[in-house]
Amino acid sequence: MTSYTICVFTENTIGILNKITTIFTRRRINIDSLTVSETERKGISRFTIVIHHESREAVEKLVRQIRKVIEVLAVFGYLNDDIVYNEIAMFKISTPIGAKPLDIETINKVYKAWVVYWHLTYVIIQKTGTEEEIFEFFDYIKPHEILEFVRSGRVAVSKSPQTLVDYLPEAEWEYYQ
Amino acid sequence: MEFNENQTQTIQAAEPAVAVAKPELINGSHAVIQSLIAEGVETIFGYPGGAIMPVYDAIYDYQDQVNHILVRHEQGAAHAAEGFARTTGEVGVCLVTSGPGATNLVTGIADAIIDSTPMVCIVGQVASHLLGTDAFQETDVMGITIPITKWNYQITYADEIPEIIAKAFYIAKSGRPGPVLIDITKDAQQKLMTKPFAHKKCEKLISYHPRLAPKEDQVAAAAKLINQAKRPFLFFGHGVQIAKAEEQLIKFIEKTDIPAASTLLGLSSVSVDHPNYVGWLGMHGNYGTNVLTNQCDLIIAVGMRFDDRVTGDLSRYAKQAKVVHIEIDPAEIDKIMKADAPVVGDAKIALEMLLPLVKENNHEGWRAEFKKFDVIEDQKITQPELAPTTEKIKMAEVIRTLSNKTKGEAVIVADVGQHQMMTARYYQFKKANSFITSGGLGTMGYALPAAFGAKVGAPDREVVAIIGDGCFQMTIQELGTIAQSGLPVKIIILNNNFLGMVRQWQQLFHAKRYSFVELQNPDFITIAKGFGINGHTCSARENLNDSLDTMLASDKPYLLEVLVEKEENVFPMVPTGACVADIRLE
Repeated sequence: MTSYTICVFTENTIGILNKITTIFTRRRINIDSLTVSETERKGISRFTIVIHHESREAVEKLVRQIRKVIEVLAVFGYLNDDIVYNEIAMFKISTPIGAKPLDIETINKVYKAWVVYWHLTYVIIQKTGTEEEIFEFFDYIKPHEILEFVRSGRVAVSKSPQTLVDYLPEAEWEYYQ
Repeated sequence: MEFNENQTQTIQAAEPAVAVAKPELINGSHAVIQSLIAEGVETIFGYPGGAIMPVYDAIYDYQDQVNHILVRHEQGAAHAAEGFARTTGEVGVCLVTSGPGATNLVTGIADAIIDSTPMVCIVGQVASHLLGTDAFQETDVMGITIPITKWNYQITYADEIPEIIAKAFYIAKSGRPGPVLIDITKDAQQKLMTKPFAHKKCEKLISYHPRLAPKEDQVAAAAKLINQAKRPFLFFGHGVQIAKAEEQLIKFIEKTDIPAASTLLGLSSVSVDHPNYVGWLGMHGNYGTNVLTNQCDLIIAVGMRFDDRVTGDLSRYAKQAKVVHIEIDPAEIDKIMKADAPVVGDAKIALEMLLPLVKENNHEGWRAEFKKFDVIEDQKITQPELAPTTEKIKMAEVIRTLSNKTKGEAVIVADVGQHQMMTARYYQFKKANSFITSGGLGTMGYALPAAFGAKVGAPDREVVAIIGDGCFQMTIQELGTIAQSGLPVKIIILNNNFLGMVRQWQQLFHAKRYSFVELQNPDFITIAKGFGINGHTCSARENLNDSLDTMLASDKPYLLEVLVEKEENVFPMVPTGACVADIRLE
């Protein structure tokens, strides 16, 4: 199974999420993660969808079906080598009185993770990175008792020097604000 | 400078004298109808109800400009709109209420998307403040129809109406056509627009750019393969009729002398008399076309999508052949069959571009190979079907007699099942755009309302619906619509008291375990008469001619019931999952 990152640029309209995801549902393709936000251009949303699939051909067909959605402006399928990508994770770690103290230096310097909230009995640590990096940190921090763990979907940009506007139809594309 | 009271009054009094009269603002419902009129809509198939009532109130004022046809069930509206769209090439329009009105359209919408039929469905919705509250007759029709529409949109402000309707028509008709659904909340229908009504046709969208003219390099690559091929075989589908490319297709096959076969929905694009026409493809298609699919060296697929009913087992389908695929929908390229030379664009433009690039050729020997199979098929199947020794009438006889009497020039609307396959096999289509049927979805109950819609679209042509007894009872109530309109739709029921195709499969693949396929039918003629439609039953071969003559001579709607052989099978047949070359003759 290969990991594919599918980037979809759409008009930002109500219901577009359903229109995109139903294409995966119908083909029984599970979405590993999905992140949507408005791009730097006004009115254009970017979907970053991660799937695992054994057939590149099937993914190419999927991309063509997504392109058929009227509100979709452009769709790209990437392998991991084609993109720079990251996720964000948050760990709520138990720190009761008398417990082994956290090694903040290791957390910061080795794992590039940051404590973003202190409480009397727990801390919240934020870690960005690839899925592998996040789970390496997960293994490291696990002995401290993870009270809660949450991981975002992947965000990704392609390594290609082209910009979003290069892919869009000719128009005056205003910046998002 | 200060005004005193008097001066101020003077200024106020002067205002009306110089002000331009404000244009009258119309409400959303009037905007709906005026937008439809601006799009050239003359006929709407619909059914009123609570959430669409304001639009129906508005229609009352436009009856001299728009013909509204009251169907008896919303499914009938959808199929009638499809029949209209298929004969005219224009967008069929449905108008229904929310909830059950909308869900009743769903089968027709699903049918239209798979058969690329342009349709705009306007659906009433509960008022916007009630959305999501499980209000009376509220249903999430937007969610329901996402997978079966080319586009859908919910209007909650009257001001949106003209622009969205224009967009709907553009999307429904352009590129690969399809159904569009517009859900309009009741308050959007009722409220006044805040600006004067203006309808501008949509010609372009920011995110949707159907490619009409194919790329020249793609056309050149296709021409090269065509010129090199020794045993080329052209398949034409519904895309030819949608693009109105029949003339170009005939020029192409005549210049290249390539044998051409039709898909189910491509039927009638080329006359059966044409020397290059070799029959139709697929599960119940012709013997030679199926076998020789696995012997050609090039397939030129024009406006068709390699449906599984055409290909059978893909792992054993035309493995020896290269493929040129002319198709307007890029998502169809390589979806089923890998194309060696894809040509993305409108079939008419693509063929026009190809014509000067392809060489004149002679494939007489290759075409003659089809004839050898035709002889076998004729002896084993066609002649026994057309000149049976059994007592009961066979479906093929009815169809061929009708074909002869109408000179192959009627608009034939077939429902789904054995009678549909028999119609495709035995009606000898001579005129383009003459066969309307539910190909992709296989919707039983399609033909009666679709035939009605076809007659509205083509009032000057003879329209004959050919329907099985099972299918007929799925939309039988549309007899009421036909009767009320008075349009002379001719209806033939081929009655075998069975769900014939299912029975055939049970016979062949389920050891004759006829599980719930026998029907106890009503007296169809009495029912038709109850609706005010005349008709009669033909049960004997010697009466068939007269029966058809009587039906065709009628200037009113007419129902002819023909009692046909009960356990008849449609052959040839490529069983599901079998290879096309292993087509069965018995």
